[in-house]
Amino acid sequence: MNTMKWLIKREMWEHKGMLLWTPVVVASLVAILAITSIFLGKNASFADAQQAFSIGTITIEGKARMVMVDTIAHGYIMAAAPVLALLSLLVFFYCLGALHDERRDRSLLFWKSLPVSDTATVTSKAILALVVAPLITMLVAIALALVILVAGCVLLLSHGTNLFGGLLLDPALYLSPLRLLTLLPVYIIWALPTVGWLLMVSSMARSKVFLWAVGTPVITSLLLMWADRILQLGLDGGWFTAHITNRILLGVVPGSWMGFEMDNVLQHVRNEHLAPFESIYYASWHTLTSPSAWIGAAAGLAMLAIAIRMRQRREEV
Amino acid sequence: MSAIITARGLRKQYGKRSAIDNLNFSIEAGRIVGLIGPNGSGKTTTLKAILGLTSFEGELSVLGMDPRQQRDALMNDICFIADVAILPKWLKVKQALDFVAGVHPRFDRSKAEKYLVQTKLDPEMKVKAMSKGMVVQLHLALVMAIDARLLVLDEPTLGLDILYRKQFYQHLLEDYFDENKTILITTHQIEEVEHILSDLMFIRDGKIELSATMDEVSERYTEVMVEAASLAAAQALQPLHQRAVFGKTIMLFDGVPREQLANLGELRTPALADLFVATMKGSYA
Repeated sequence: MNTMKWLIKREMWEHKGMLLWTPVVVASLVAILAITSIFLGKNASFADAQQAFSIGTITIEGKARMVMVDTIAHGYIMAAAPVLALLSLLVFFYCLGALHDERRDRSLLFWKSLPVSDTATVTSKAILALVVAPLITMLVAIALALVILVAGCVLLLSHGTNLFGGLLLDPALYLSPLRLLTLLPVYIIWALPTVGWLLMVSSMARSKVFLWAVGTPVITSLLLMWADRILQLGLDGGWFTAHITNRILLGVVPGSWMGFEMDNVLQHVRNEHLAPFESIYYASWHTLTSPSAWIGAAAGLAMLAIAIRMRQRREEV
Repeated sequence: MSAIITARGLRKQYGKRSAIDNLNFSIEAGRIVGLIGPNGSGKTTTLKAILGLTSFEGELSVLGMDPRQQRDALMNDICFIADVAILPKWLKVKQALDFVAGVHPRFDRSKAEKYLVQTKLDPEMKVKAMSKGMVVQLHLALVMAIDARLLVLDEPTLGLDILYRKQFYQHLLEDYFDENKTILITTHQIEEVEHILSDLMFIRDGKIELSATMDEVSERYTEVMVEAASLAAAQALQPLHQRAVFGKTIMLFDGVPREQLANLGELRTPALADLFVATMKGSYA
């Protein structure tokens, strides 16, 4: 357990710039942009299905204000979407390098001269990709969302609309970040196939890790589709793309499950009639009822096991 | 004294070429063994096999364990320095100490710090910013603070200037080595290790050409500065090797008693480098 703690610290030392500072910098840029646009008087608008509010022109009171407070309290986290989207890139490139760079710079020999098993090392890298990196990004995203929220509310206040009281009393204000954080298990299950695949390729490829990781599934998809179209072999290229290629490349995108399990999600939304943001939350969890989520996760674990085997055998490149 | 390493029929193929071919040797505890051979002779492969870093055929027991199966446990008792610059560039001195202290049960942090104080390394320095010599100093500080039973050094001083090289072996002997430890060194710089070795193994084309203690070597091999008058008599004793220096002929004899050689000219114990050249004759032909 102690070893695992140090392995994870080690990964953070190496990748602090990428995993911590990149989201912080991007979040700061988004915050600056948002705040500038808010205070330069651009009409930022908050919209839900029924109504759209254009701020800066009118003072909002009464029921309209309550609806607005509620919508903002539920949805303000979405302001940090750019940072969350960034997470996919971070995890993707972290995994690609994780088991390859150490072979390229030969530091593998140093790490292997210590009494640390390959299983522990590969596990620490998977934990970093699946838990630590998403947590960091989520926390940065929440901070960003709060900053934008406060800035927006200050602007409204200057126009006479005070949302602070309403917002602070709205439980959704506090629930929204918690909801985001508690989606982590869903993310882990759906990201496992991609993380497993990338770490496996990273442990195998002698060079051009990116080409191997992306090229192999994409070219296979294209070949299958071509063979299906031209040779009429009855191979289902579309199925392969949806269930293999996309799952092993796009699983690290937060919310990927909405795409993979579109039917499941839509059905859940139709049946439950929840408010939009609650609906997203519960529908996300509901995607875990699909066997394909677990088949993918199992495949991800299997690929991680292969990565461990490869690290035991592979020498430096 | 029990053997720390025993190899029987050790073999490793890279494609069709065999890197090591049926190696048999054993290394006792408390020795400093030099594994010496030309480039591509299988030195590094042998070390990698011992360290569990490569697959191989045959039998190999290191500290009573099979390096293929029990590498993780084995690494509690083995330390390893490969030729310079295998410490990752982003690593800070402080982090290196923290990490090794965190994962290695036998690491004595104060010992490493005591050694580092004597160097120019400071805790916040990154490997990226160090000279080759400093990287080796850091690595040596880490390794010397680990109470291991076997230390494996693969070309540890490659690319270092003479000051660092001298210092390296000096620290190793004075502050690290004792009768419970065993050191296995490969190097090209034979002159440098000559005086610290207790055992010698010459390896060529994946085979052991010579395996002996240094005492045996000095008993068995004799170099003679042959007087011009005795050349024919000396030739008759079938020298292993001969060379000319300043007009004198120096011959190297294997297993010829010293009394017999004494009247041919001045006797001396051959330098390892000369013995190496004689033994490896034809390696590059």
